[in-house]
Amino acid sequence: MFSKAFSSPSKANWVIQGAGVIWLLACILILLHYQVSFKIALTDAAVYTGLFIGAVLILDRVFSFYSPKGRNVILLLILPLFLSLIGAVIHRFGLQWFFQDEEEYYSFLQQHFYLRWAILALAEVMVTLLAIVVARLEQQEDSQKREIHMMELSREAELSQLRQQLQPHFLFNSLNSINALVVSQPQKARQMVLQLSDFLRGTIRKDLKAWLSLEEELSFLKLYLEIEKVRFGHRLQVEIDVPDQILEMKIPQLLIQPLLENSIKHGLYGVTGEVMISLKAFKEQNYLILKLTNPFDPESPSPGGTGFGLSSVERRLYLLFGRNDLLEKSSENSLFSIQLKIPQLK
Amino acid sequence: MIRTLIIDDEPLAASVVEEYLQNYPQFEILEICQDGFQAMKAIQKHEPDLIFLDVQMPKITGFELLELLDEPPAVIFTTAFDQYALKAFDAKAVDYLLKPFSQSRFEQAINKFLESRNGGEPTSTERISDMAEKSNRLVVRVKNEIKIIPVAEVQYFEAQDDYIAIHTDSGKYLKKMTMKSLEDALDPDRFARIHRSFMLNLNSITRIEPYERDSYLVYLKNGEKLPVSKSGYARLRQVLGL
Repeated sequence: MFSKAFSSPSKANWVIQGAGVIWLLACILILLHYQVSFKIALTDAAVYTGLFIGAVLILDRVFSFYSPKGRNVILLLILPLFLSLIGAVIHRFGLQWFFQDEEEYYSFLQQHFYLRWAILALAEVMVTLLAIVVARLEQQEDSQKREIHMMELSREAELSQLRQQLQPHFLFNSLNSINALVVSQPQKARQMVLQLSDFLRGTIRKDLKAWLSLEEELSFLKLYLEIEKVRFGHRLQVEIDVPDQILEMKIPQLLIQPLLENSIKHGLYGVTGEVMISLKAFKEQNYLILKLTNPFDPESPSPGGTGFGLSSVERRLYLLFGRNDLLEKSSENSLFSIQLKIPQLK
Repeated sequence: MIRTLIIDDEPLAASVVEEYLQNYPQFEILEICQDGFQAMKAIQKHEPDLIFLDVQMPKITGFELLELLDEPPAVIFTTAFDQYALKAFDAKAVDYLLKPFSQSRFEQAINKFLESRNGGEPTSTERISDMAEKSNRLVVRVKNEIKIIPVAEVQYFEAQDDYIAIHTDSGKYLKKMTMKSLEDALDPDRFARIHRSFMLNLNSITRIEPYERDSYLVYLKNGEKLPVSKSGYARLRQVLGL
């Protein structure tokens, strides 16, 4: 457990073993200072150190698995006190028995019994506290890691959910169009089934984070537009203006489609007659800019809300880039525009 | 002959109804309309017995179209949205077809229509409490023009017999509806029923003064004064947080 308090386990071993050696040497020196013979001092210090290390190992094991709470906190004191008492007793009577003939040493042991216990107890209490602190830190780190992991997971889930919120009515209306074509124009019905399948496959692409080239994304959008054109006939006109040199620029998948859907919806339901939707793309500094324009009637608000499409794109942009300023809406002269800025990663 | 109109902004969707309807020679299709404005004119011109009506259409929705008609024909809704079903029953629709629908489902709707025609009342017109979202606009008819009024531009509503007078910045409009349905349709945080006959846009208030015992007067931005009843004053205090 202690080894985890250090940056690397090998360093920890050095430090811990070093501490043990220092403890041993200190004991020997103190005993020599009290005129104990070297042989006895060495044995005494070794036993004392051994007992101390044994107690440390036990305490470390116990408190790394069990960190007492509430009333049981008293265990943090009781267990080291108890272990140190046992240690002190073993030390005293063990050595007493081993060095039976040394009268002087015998009284020395007797005199210093409480002092030795006290030193052992103090050191072991400190060790216990340290063990607890390390265990707590570790738990905290664990829970932090878990939290980060959870957040990552929920972010992924939210992203994929936002991506999949393909408006179901688009599907139903498309199926309805196919239903109409099946009898009158079977070839066209088949074509639409294939387009719809390709489109749906595109919306469930597996890799969430992968960016696509603008060219790939445009071909996907064209698929979508073909379907919408079958549905709405000549009312829907679309103009796409994308210079060839930016076709290789990258964008996150399926960001433009909801915006296009939004523009088409508001264009087609906002005014009567033919509707021209325009999609322009260009490069500005380190951004790929996409601008969608649709006609609307400034006199009459749309019957529903502001549209789910925009808010979901805003949310995705925030999850992807951590920014709220990448989507701008503007309107003038009965034209409504949405401008999307995609930062280009280097 | 049963005279019908098909109202749908998607030509293919209209053609499905047209195709299914060919199996019933007693039905005659007078016109296929692509939006509410066209439909309005066609309904006034032909006075059909039955209309097939899409909900989401350019400019005004199928529901708003129905509100504009003094004597609406029987309606079968055709839409891909199932969240409108409750509202459709409120609007006393004969049936509600979810796109895409089959010939046999279509036949059920036709039979329902024929039954209701013979029996008088449509079979299911149970009124379900209106949970629909609050509307932010009103559609009215001025002679043969359709006007869409954002509710934000309304100063107040006044009950006048079967009609509601809508007082706006740009003038006064009449719409056939009740105070109750208006109260249900509007956002209670923006409009308050201050009197049996008045419903007020909270934004147009400048001040409120005591008038007679238990009644008050509210002064509007345009200088007009409206009476506030005792219970109306309590409601007003509540929404204004006084």
